[in-house]
Amino acid sequence: MKKFFTVNLQEWLTLLFRLILGGVLLAAGWIKAMAPSEAQASVRVYQVLPVKVANTFGLVLPWLEIGIALLLILGIWVKWSGLSGGALMLLFIIAIGQAWARKLPINCGCFGNGGVTADGKVHPWVYATEIMRDCGLVLCAGFIARFPRGKFSLDDKTTI
Amino acid sequence: MTMADKDKKAKKSKLEGKDTGTRNIVIGMILLVILVGAITAVAKNHANTGASAPSAVAANDGYGIEFNKSAPVKVDIYEDFQCPHCRDFEAINNQYVNTLVTSGKIHAVFHPMSFIGPESILTAAAAACASDQGKFLEMHKALYQQQPATENSGAWTNASLIKLGQSVGINASSFTQCVNSGKYLNWTKNIEDYAGQQNVNSTPTLLLNGKALPQADYLDPAAFQAAFEAAGVK
Repeated sequence: MKKFFTVNLQEWLTLLFRLILGGVLLAAGWIKAMAPSEAQASVRVYQVLPVKVANTFGLVLPWLEIGIALLLILGIWVKWSGLSGGALMLLFIIAIGQAWARKLPINCGCFGNGGVTADGKVHPWVYATEIMRDCGLVLCAGFIARFPRGKFSLDDKTTI
Repeated sequence: MTMADKDKKAKKSKLEGKDTGTRNIVIGMILLVILVGAITAVAKNHANTGASAPSAVAANDGYGIEFNKSAPVKVDIYEDFQCPHCRDFEAINNQYVNTLVTSGKIHAVFHPMSFIGPESILTAAAAACASDQGKFLEMHKALYQQQPATENSGAWTNASLIKLGQSVGINASSFTQCVNSGKYLNWTKNIEDYAGQQNVNSTPTLLLNGKALPQADYLDPAAFQAAFEAAGVK
């Protein structure tokens, strides 16, 4: 009886984490897909990729996020979509970390504090909060990949 | 295995078979959405050479609104009429820049961007309409002086922009028509596209002879003017 309960709890947790990670990815992807030039700028600001590559990646990334989000929310290929979502979050953490180290402002546009203000001051909290949020999502992804079997999933439960 | 068990198993596999079919359709739909979305986004990502542009625009300067093409010092100004930092920057440096433009000392190229949203597109297009009336600088100044406190609040509409134009002395019906017909709405996309290629990630961004002005010089008028003089403005 006790074991049944824990398995059941794990399946609900997997669903919860799928919805959290999928929800964040869906919202982020949708906002960017609707504002393509901003999406491009949000990749350029990290100054990792050459401008041309960054601009193309900025257009494709939102759709990639939407795709992974839908797979997670509906519960398809849960293990792999969880891993992909986690990999994306790791990528973001690396991007933010290197921007922090190079003192690059990471908010595109005109919203002021993107980590570096007009007077050249670096504000660590801006980077740290983003990294912490993404770390939380990596943990969600890790749980999903380790325990892919969850509630309300389209995956065939007999194979996982 | 009892009969009941067999029955249960058959039922289950039947159910699973049905599920797999639905699942495949769902997977196919997701893949289709992603592919179509990504491919259209990339395919649409180029300047629309057919978009009507104001007469002061040169395609090879990123479709920006140009003044004094033959002046030796080139100044590219990337801005968004809804951007509060741009307003602060304008309040401090507008007079200096405008004097240099009207006295023909700089080759100025204005790139009114629209990444903040729909009202940025409206204001940029209206400024382009004002450019056709020879009143770009006046409209430019008025747009910042009257900048609404919040972005995309509904304050900028065709009607309010036509009124703003009238307040700076644009009374021609061709201006009204230009704004109302959205003549230059598509042109604003070309500005965005070029700004992206030039790696402009924030506004305001000024390039003096192609070189970005250091962050610290934007809101410090003495440093700002010194940078212009260093670039060759006399």
